[in-house]
Amino acid sequence: MEDVIKGFGLILEFKNILLIFGGVLVGVLVGALPGLSSPMAIALLMPFTISLDPVASISMMAALYCAGTFGGSITAILINAPGAPPAVATALDGYQMAKKGEPGRALGLAAISSVLGGIFAIFVFLLATPLLAEIALKFGPVEYFGLTLFALSMLAAMSGKSSIRNLIAGTLGVLISTIGVHLATGVERFDFGVQELTEGIKFVPVLIGLFAMSELLNQSKTLNDAVERMSARALKLPTFSELKALKGTILRSSGLGTFIGILPAEGSTVAAMMGYNEAKRWSKEPEKFGTGSPEGIAGPEAANNAAAGGAMVPTLALGIPGSGTTALILAALVMHGFRPGPYLITETPHLVYAIFGAMLFANFGFLGIGLVGAKFFSYVTFIPKRFLWPSVFVFSLIGSYAYSSAIFDVWVMLLSGIIGYFALRNGFSPAPFVMGLILGKMVEETFTQSMVIYENNFLNFFESGVFIFFFILTFVSLSTPFWGKIRNKFFPAKPQS
Amino acid sequence: MSNESNFASDKSGARFYHKKDLYLAIILVAFGAFVYYEADKFPPAPLVLGDTINADVFPKILVVVLLFLTAIIPFEFKITPEKVAKIDKERNERTISITWITIVMLLTIVSLANFLGAVLTMFTTCLIFPLVWGEKNYVAVAIYAIVFPACVYLLFNQLLGLYFEPGLLEIFKK
Repeated sequence: MEDVIKGFGLILEFKNILLIFGGVLVGVLVGALPGLSSPMAIALLMPFTISLDPVASISMMAALYCAGTFGGSITAILINAPGAPPAVATALDGYQMAKKGEPGRALGLAAISSVLGGIFAIFVFLLATPLLAEIALKFGPVEYFGLTLFALSMLAAMSGKSSIRNLIAGTLGVLISTIGVHLATGVERFDFGVQELTEGIKFVPVLIGLFAMSELLNQSKTLNDAVERMSARALKLPTFSELKALKGTILRSSGLGTFIGILPAEGSTVAAMMGYNEAKRWSKEPEKFGTGSPEGIAGPEAANNAAAGGAMVPTLALGIPGSGTTALILAALVMHGFRPGPYLITETPHLVYAIFGAMLFANFGFLGIGLVGAKFFSYVTFIPKRFLWPSVFVFSLIGSYAYSSAIFDVWVMLLSGIIGYFALRNGFSPAPFVMGLILGKMVEETFTQSMVIYENNFLNFFESGVFIFFFILTFVSLSTPFWGKIRNKFFPAKPQS
Repeated sequence: MSNESNFASDKSGARFYHKKDLYLAIILVAFGAFVYYEADKFPPAPLVLGDTINADVFPKILVVVLLFLTAIIPFEFKITPEKVAKIDKERNERTISITWITIVMLLTIVSLANFLGAVLTMFTTCLIFPLVWGEKNYVAVAIYAIVFPACVYLLFNQLLGLYFEPGLLEIFKK
């Protein structure tokens, strides 16, 4: 309890409230702007937080993450252009409701469902994180290796264009993480005589390049695209009876979203789509979906925001990112000298509770911002791309340089961006690569320690029951994308007469 | 470009492998072979460290995993045709000239960043980018090119104390 009070006390300091509020504002802004995203904003912000108080800066990023998920739905509803991928499902009914002349009601439903989903997940986060960390504390290197293997295998099921390509991107990320001095032997690996590479590839410039620069190149194709503007934009909160009718949908989607968020590598986009599908499946009026159904807005919105909270659980309790954005928050924790994993809550519990408080604050923050600023945030989409993206480049330049005052990092950022752009064109997403890059060191460290413990024989790893459990889960998650294919082959659907 | 041209067919006309994905696989295999070759040159762990894993073991395992996954890529369209079709739709669009010009601009600006210094680099970026991207409102470009870098300078240098390389502006300081 003392730690909870201490954590809350930290975020209640005026300077920290200001930073968290800034995070919420930036989150809603980047969420609303198609092309800009929360991971990109966090990657750009990261180097500038070095000089800030670590608790405040991590809390600010967590708040930005929560608010960014909601921000995407503003433009999804008003201009049918989801600002962020998790808002795609919201656009299906949100935009239809807006077109019927009720944009304020659609925004209000989205805001309230998001807040309720978010709060639900935060309480699960508060209860589950210490429990999960306690279990993880009993893990040895081999169990941890099994867990990281499972987390990486989840990349196969991660939303993206292709499971195989996700796995390749993850493997490449782990491979890039091996650059630099090998801690066990002191051997310099893949540095090619470049002094900057002996310390390894730094996360921050790569993250900025992959998320900001590749998107800049992507956006250069669509400089002349115009968006259609809607008229009325006042947020209207749902009535009590309306909320009562939606309580089942919101509760179900919140639970589903939190669970999906907790799964390593899965994120808000999958949660939103599943939230939408489940809302439709349970609805008494499924035929109204796609025509402006309130359940079609509440379902995905509660789920995607709950997933954002859920994704923080494995990130903070196990050091395994629950989504692409939490992978960046994990990188920020490392950058600020924290030790992600079960020790985080035993050594720095106030940080975990401060993040909890910041996320709670963010949920009410974006509701307030939504109430008064929805109109403004719908206008930000009209900032011309010809001015917006050079500004992103300027921030990318400064951010990558500021990290360690080296022009080498700027080159790393730029090359990551160019490679990322062409990789994106060929179906490779940046998120699996980032997960691999961030988890890489942990995978190698636990693998090396396990091999030493188990006399250099991988088969001996199976002496651990926990490792067997994770190994089975790994197998299941790797085969998941092919289940449908196998089922169709051996049990083809009977043609309907 | 038609989607059909992405595939190589056998004698019966059945699609055999995906051409673009084969090229992609070749690049990945070449990268994997290079990493393996480099890892092979790592010295073994000194005896004084006792029973430990050599520095080359983990990267080599990763290369094997990479090669295994890469081998599937040219035939992925047979497993998940709709997903590969989606990827094809995107990559069949040619990289338009403005994207290539943007890449060249980015490379040039970063190459000159050390010489120009932070403030002039920001100014050049804000001036050149909108113009090359076809902005016709020159007054807006001029205002943006001056005001935006000035705001960034004030925020990061004056307020947050971030060091900005003076570069070319050092001449005026002297």
